[in-house]
Amino acid sequence: MPVLEAKDLRKEYKLGGHRVNALEGINFQVEKGEFVAIMGPSGSGKSTLLHLLGGLDSPSSGGITLAGQNLARLSEHKATLVRRHNVGFVFQFFNLLPTLSAEENILLPVIIDGKDPRKYKERLARLLELVGLQDRRHHKPDQLSGGEQQRVAIARALVTEPAILLADEPTGNLDTKTGTAIMELLRRSCDELQQTVIAVTHDARAAAYADRVIFLRDGSIVHERTADSEEAFGPRLRGILETMEQLEAV
Amino acid sequence: MMRLTRMLTFRSIRARFPRFALSAFGIILGVAGLLAIRATNTAALNSIVTLFESTSGRAKLTLVTAEADQGSFSEEILQRVQTTPGVALANPLVIVRTDLADDRPAAGLNLGLFGTDAGGLALHGVVPSLETQTRAYTLTAGRFLEEKPKEYEIVLVEEYARDKELSLGDWVEILTPNGVRRLKLVGLIAREGPGQTNNGSFGVMPLDTAQELFNRARNLDQIDIVLVNPNPDTAELASLRANLQDEVGAKYSVVYPSGQGERMTQMLQNYQIGLNFMSGIALFVGAFLIYNAFAMTIVERTREFGMLRTIGMTQRQVVAQVFVEAGILGIFGSAAGVGLGVLLARGLTRLMEVIMNQGLGSVDFASPDILFSLILGLGVTLLAAGLPAWQAGRISPMEALRVRGKSREGWLIRYGWTLGALLLIGSVVLLVINPFPYDVQFRLGSLTVFGLFTGATLLIPVTVGVWERVTRPIMGWLYGASGSLGSRNVQRSRVRTTLTVAALMVGVAMVIMVRGMTESFASDLRVWMKAYLGGDIYVTSSVRMRSDIGRRIQEVEGVYAVAPIRYFDVKWQTPTGETESLNFMAVDVAAYTRVTNFVFSGQQVNCQFALQRIQQEGTVFISNVLAEKYDLGIGDALRLRTASGYRDFEIVGIVVDFYNQGMVVEGDWETMRRYFHIKDASTFLVKVQEGRSAPQVQNEIDMLYGERYHLTLESNESVRGRALNLMDQAFRMFDVMALISIVVGSLGVVNTLTMSVIERTREIGMLRAIGTTRGQIVRMVLAEAALMGAIGGILGLGTGVVLARILFIGMTTMSGYQLTFTLPPEGVAFSLVMALVVSQIAAIPPAIRAARTRILEAVQYE
Repeated sequence: MPVLEAKDLRKEYKLGGHRVNALEGINFQVEKGEFVAIMGPSGSGKSTLLHLLGGLDSPSSGGITLAGQNLARLSEHKATLVRRHNVGFVFQFFNLLPTLSAEENILLPVIIDGKDPRKYKERLARLLELVGLQDRRHHKPDQLSGGEQQRVAIARALVTEPAILLADEPTGNLDTKTGTAIMELLRRSCDELQQTVIAVTHDARAAAYADRVIFLRDGSIVHERTADSEEAFGPRLRGILETMEQLEAV
Repeated sequence: MMRLTRMLTFRSIRARFPRFALSAFGIILGVAGLLAIRATNTAALNSIVTLFESTSGRAKLTLVTAEADQGSFSEEILQRVQTTPGVALANPLVIVRTDLADDRPAAGLNLGLFGTDAGGLALHGVVPSLETQTRAYTLTAGRFLEEKPKEYEIVLVEEYARDKELSLGDWVEILTPNGVRRLKLVGLIAREGPGQTNNGSFGVMPLDTAQELFNRARNLDQIDIVLVNPNPDTAELASLRANLQDEVGAKYSVVYPSGQGERMTQMLQNYQIGLNFMSGIALFVGAFLIYNAFAMTIVERTREFGMLRTIGMTQRQVVAQVFVEAGILGIFGSAAGVGLGVLLARGLTRLMEVIMNQGLGSVDFASPDILFSLILGLGVTLLAAGLPAWQAGRISPMEALRVRGKSREGWLIRYGWTLGALLLIGSVVLLVINPFPYDVQFRLGSLTVFGLFTGATLLIPVTVGVWERVTRPIMGWLYGASGSLGSRNVQRSRVRTTLTVAALMVGVAMVIMVRGMTESFASDLRVWMKAYLGGDIYVTSSVRMRSDIGRRIQEVEGVYAVAPIRYFDVKWQTPTGETESLNFMAVDVAAYTRVTNFVFSGQQVNCQFALQRIQQEGTVFISNVLAEKYDLGIGDALRLRTASGYRDFEIVGIVVDFYNQGMVVEGDWETMRRYFHIKDASTFLVKVQEGRSAPQVQNEIDMLYGERYHLTLESNESVRGRALNLMDQAFRMFDVMALISIVVGSLGVVNTLTMSVIERTREIGMLRAIGTTRGQIVRMVLAEAALMGAIGGILGLGTGVVLARILFIGMTTMSGYQLTFTLPPEGVAFSLVMALVVSQIAAIPPAIRAARTRILEAVQYE
């Protein structure tokens, strides 16, 4: 049974009196533990799709089923609770609270949920180990590098064991080396924690870590590329780059 | 919830502590003002009641004459009072006001503004054995009076004696209608209980002595009545009073002793209503600052709230976090406000002591007052944080995903102008049409303050563009190229601009309001005072002056005219049938018009005709206050109690008179003599011949008659100076309140401009990178501030004028004075300049911060 399913997803905006179709009939499914990258040129609808999948915005028509619930029909409050329990977010600009330590930032979703963070000691230790920040747990965001901040953000997204982790340009604000480390971390979370991950990215290198890459153009899925588990990183990256070139050429 | 609060709210406060402190400042000032005024009010009112109660001792009732001028009455009535059932003791008194012979005090001008009525020496003639049974004197030295002393003796308040360098056994020389008389100082009493009379300038002498020295043979001024039941309940006391009144007849009045304090209490309350209104506004300004600070915080933390919403924080949780922060602010601010209020109350008490000419003692802070201030402070803070909290709750989680933080322009910014225009029009219409009675208007006035400020604030966002385009060339001219750049910045965040402009607007409006009100009062008071204290020399005395003294003064070389004036209280029947007290000012109209003029109210048609009519029998002028309050006009009848009972007087003129809060009727000297049987004068106004020196003539009169008639002479200029000084003191408190709101307004500017600079760090870095100098950056920020100062100033002027009118209506209603509204042009110019100067000074710290931006760090700033 898929963790996430989008059915004939459409989103219309009104912009200066004109109707703009941001998404036009998107259909796809994501299985548990799968790592999906969404790619496409600027204005292709990637961010809109991510907003709909995370329950941040509602579709004009169509449905999204996440962990057995149709997000399109939920009230604002219920959508918030779905986000709280079933969605983890990783942002391009990390979005950590500057007044909290790394550890407190990671535990923030648990605290918001009114749970006792002391009961999450083991989970915290495991996540800190996963992101490699055991020694930096008491540091404030301004004492951490960009890569470290993003790792804190990933740990925060994973702390509630969400059904799905949504990453919006997770390497967009990082150098290549740090970006690689972050993508490897997301990959490991899939492999080791059976975490489902959907990442929106411009970066073909980042997308090459995914099991499947969905290519969008003008609000529609125009191509899907599923990686062969035997396929090496190099050829996989080349394949993605070629597809992107073709899309941008059209 | 608690954990979340600890992690988010407490740390947010710590991280933004300066702003937290600034916001707290607003509430601290508001609460402090409110508490101080409440405490001072209570202290002042209590002290008056206590004074009258302690000076009346065990006497529960007092008998005085019901005649006009509350003169003396025959002591025959004493026997009848003494034998009335329920009366334990009837204590006869002669009450006189005099001065020490070698003591020539400045004239005790009773302006009647706030009930100041002190000065001179108050002496009571008493029967020692009865007096000590009535009042508890604390003897500090010597002995009390003897029943039948061999020589004249006197007992004085110790402090007074010390001030006048008098010791036990000394001969005290006092002024009497029969010249200077010597009394032996046999005892000293403490300034407590009856020793507080006349603010401690008090003494007692045997009744016989007083009757002899002050021409009161077999006459009394008052009888204090001690009852058999020392603690009767209200009903019993009322019935005893009615019995006694029946027994003594209509020639006498049986009154409650503390009732004498009522008029002073009433006057004090009028002044305090004004202060309360101002402290209410100070609290509102505080609330505005809190709103401002919270709204800024929400703008600043938009992305943070967006992220929290994304990871599952509900709208309610976000709102609760803002409210918790506001609650903490409210508790700390109110608590600190209570502390400051205690200090402020001490200052205010001293001021009140000056105004009342009466010691108030210590200020007590009742726990209900403190609790009320705390709750009000907290309530106002929570209320002020309400809108920002609601806005925070509505922040979309998608804000967290935006590459650049963007300040949202909610519907209130986009469409709020319609509500603003409605509020503004509604408030102004309410004031212009004036469909309500005065007291309702005043209460509504406080409400319209909120309507006006909110309305004007809501209009700012839609008009910012217009303001900016109009002033851009000026900013460019003043600050160069960076000036027009800074000018354009005000359009970028209309939320921020609105909040800054609104803070300034409130500050300027407060100044205009206070200026307008003070000036309206002062200018009218000056006109009246010039006429009221007309002529060149003001002659008065601690003892009564026969009117022939006037004729003698008239003969002094250099004197052009002398006008005698006599003030006395008279009972009148209001059109509704109640009996109230009025002040009658009797003048010799012919002489008076040679010295000065009547100030006729605008309703007067023919002044010459009015002056002819007033000299005819049975006619009076009334003050415009009376005319307005009781709907009386020329030709109407005024029912006054004369020596031979009630009689109607025809109203032939309406005059401006501020004496006794405008409860004044004026009549001719002959009218007074005929109907009220009064012959002496309270005051003479002397006009000097043209070309003659007033001080010389004053010296001449003093030399000839000063000592002989115990006259006190003062130039009218100096009397007017003292009166105006008294008025200024009363208004100074309002200036302090206005100053507070300006400080608060400028804090708003610092707050919002700093925010603006922080938000634009990257942009400023970019400008520096492409070659903008530090000086240009400073000018850019200053230009932005100047533009906001200009908008705030102009809007503040508009709202201020309307507010000044509201307060003006309120003050005139409460005080009874009918004034003309005046707003001095220099006051208007001053407030506009002040808005600009304040905006520039407040912009300096953020401008320096902007200029110091490090280019490399800034361009990496997220």
